[in-house]
Amino acid sequence: MLSFRGGIHPPGMKHLVRDRAIVDMPLVPLYRVLVQQHIGAPAKPLVKAGDTVKRGQMLSEPLGFVSASVHAPTSGKVRGVENCINPVTGLGSPCVVIEADGEDAWAEGIPFDVDPFSMDGSELISRIRSSGIVGMGGATFPSHVKLSPPRDKPIDAFIVNGVECEPYLGADHRLMLEEPQRIVLGARLVMHILGLSVAVVAIEANKLDAVEVMRKNAPGSIRVEVLDVKYPQGAEKQLIKAILDREVPPGGLPMDVGALVHNAGTCAAIWDACSRGIPLIERVTSVTGSGIREPKNIRVRVGTPLRDVIDFCGGLQEDASKVIFGGPMMGIAQYSMDVPVTKGTSGILVLRSREVDRSSYTSCISCGRCVDACPMGLLPNVLSRLGERSMWEDALEYNLMDCIECGSCAYVCPAYRPIVHFIKHMKALAREASAKKRQAV
Amino acid sequence: MLDAVFVIGGVGFLAALVLGIAAVTFAVKPDPKEAEVLDLLPGANCGACGYAGCAAFAHALVQDPDTPMACTAVDADTAQRISSLLGRELDVAGPMVASVRCMGSKDSAGSRFSYVGPMDCRAAQLVAGGYKACGYGCLGLGTCEAVCPFDAIHMGADGLPEVVLERCTGCGTCVDACPRGIIRLVPKDALVELRCVSLDSPKVMKGACDIGCIKCMLCVNVCPFDAIDVLDNGGPPVIDQDKCHRCSLCVDVCPRGVIDIYRVPQKVRIVEDRCIGCSICDQVCPFDAISGEPKGVYVVDLDRCRGCGLCVDKCPKDAIVRVGDA
Repeated sequence: MLSFRGGIHPPGMKHLVRDRAIVDMPLVPLYRVLVQQHIGAPAKPLVKAGDTVKRGQMLSEPLGFVSASVHAPTSGKVRGVENCINPVTGLGSPCVVIEADGEDAWAEGIPFDVDPFSMDGSELISRIRSSGIVGMGGATFPSHVKLSPPRDKPIDAFIVNGVECEPYLGADHRLMLEEPQRIVLGARLVMHILGLSVAVVAIEANKLDAVEVMRKNAPGSIRVEVLDVKYPQGAEKQLIKAILDREVPPGGLPMDVGALVHNAGTCAAIWDACSRGIPLIERVTSVTGSGIREPKNIRVRVGTPLRDVIDFCGGLQEDASKVIFGGPMMGIAQYSMDVPVTKGTSGILVLRSREVDRSSYTSCISCGRCVDACPMGLLPNVLSRLGERSMWEDALEYNLMDCIECGSCAYVCPAYRPIVHFIKHMKALAREASAKKRQAV
Repeated sequence: MLDAVFVIGGVGFLAALVLGIAAVTFAVKPDPKEAEVLDLLPGANCGACGYAGCAAFAHALVQDPDTPMACTAVDADTAQRISSLLGRELDVAGPMVASVRCMGSKDSAGSRFSYVGPMDCRAAQLVAGGYKACGYGCLGLGTCEAVCPFDAIHMGADGLPEVVLERCTGCGTCVDACPRGIIRLVPKDALVELRCVSLDSPKVMKGACDIGCIKCMLCVNVCPFDAIDVLDNGGPPVIDQDKCHRCSLCVDVCPRGVIDIYRVPQKVRIVEDRCIGCSICDQVCPFDAISGEPKGVYVVDLDRCRGCGLCVDKCPKDAIVRVGDA
């Protein structure tokens, strides 16, 4: 089966939400819509305290091309632009707080019905841009940027990412099973925009039912490929290697090898935006883990506070100990129940105290397991030892910046070394130094 | 066999000849002064002077007469010896030391979550901006201790760094390394410092730390020397070390106990046979601690004197000395 070099086989734990159909989460009284829910330039809030907003109304204006706007998840009154905790950075970040009026009335003009295949590419891209669509696998890179490659880097291969290689998560799986048409139509739109005649849907072999459904629904131009079950199979560069046997150069982007990857959920959102004018205001996410009483796949509005999501899923088990946004490998632990769901929240994982390992790390014993596991072919053992001493300049020689922070090395480390954390630490030091240098010039 | 010996030997001899001639012709004579200056420099290669290390700085000092005395680690005596070696006067800045502006110890400052990861403050700062409840306080993982080239900063049992004043040279390595910007350099004789940099409102501050500055401005109002500056950023006032006379009034008035004084200055006394009764000291004393009749001998009320030393500086007859001095 198709795959890549390296990687690990953590327990899948997908059974918790595998057979649970997507349920709509009911409206909650208060929404916190973070203005920054994407990678790139910030956006400027367009509303102020006291304004009334309608569902789908634009709340912020992107400042720059690599930026995205956010939209009101429901109708109501703006309490203000307040400081809320961003679940990705853990820092305070401006967000529009909306008191829902319960009517859930759409903004004027949406949703509508058009045939997006009759429109040309630039029109569709601007529609995707104004709908605030970002990569929904978790990286939240603005989608319209990926769809606007420079002239000298034409894209000839498009992959729909339905791999979902993170343990526990099952949102993309359920979406492929229940709403394959949205994904297929979204993928066809992307092909239409880029003038492509073929595309590939990539799915791991632990979701054969989804493979079957997608094969049934996809037209002949869209091929469904089954991939080896291995983490991080869904990482962009690893996926391109597996499907196309192309290697993205160090520091490069998929477009450097003519490839484009969109998450299955992103494709569905692109279809909604282009065919019905619905901006990205809700997503499917898995609320899972042994620490939650009723694991569920839910369709949740962006901006819903974590506390309400947990309540909707039966609350926490008594010995729940850690709440993670995303999966267990790359997800981010939360310290407040007030953080809102964002466009990139692919899962909410709750672990019990016996599942959380807080043991302290010891010295590297040079066993080399991390070297075998690294999907990027780096030397995590060397990087972690350099990181312990903050020697980022030396680490740059060992291709520090190519690390995708997948966590495979830390997973296999018998000394429990926080290798990814060491690497993130050195990356931050290196970025700080180069910013200082730029300032000095 | 013999051919090989001659060929290799011949090549070796030729190469040696070329190298020997080159060594004589292109020899660069090092200035012996450089080695002597280098001997006097601390040799820690801390980089505070802006050069690549002590050797590079010694080279610059000897070769370029415009190079200022940028080394922060040499004392006045050593600087004098370097001056005489170079044959030119060097301006030596007053010695500086690192000052850690946080008193939120393990017991007095709370945490938002428990941190597991590399024991480096810069790495901890990456996780949600640091685990401490106060976003400005010391993380206490000892990055300053690790980077100090002079072994002059140590983590205390309370989780806060302590500066060893005798060893600290004011090189500023810790200032750059601290991800929270808590450490600043102050003159070595500056002994009063407000140890908090939090920009949080008093309400937020009280929830995060038992000791942090609540911006009550009592210290600013009490200071007789106008030495405590209010900053525009809404943060805690900062003590202007050039104006501070170490009277410690602010230390006493601070309701949070966040103003710190290392060494209370000696009080003063008036040497009777030198006093001419000019009354300048009486006029200048901000604490009304000196009394007497003009043309008579003035006396210091030791209960009121706070050792600010204003009178010592102003006395035209050098009649006022510190208690304990001759």
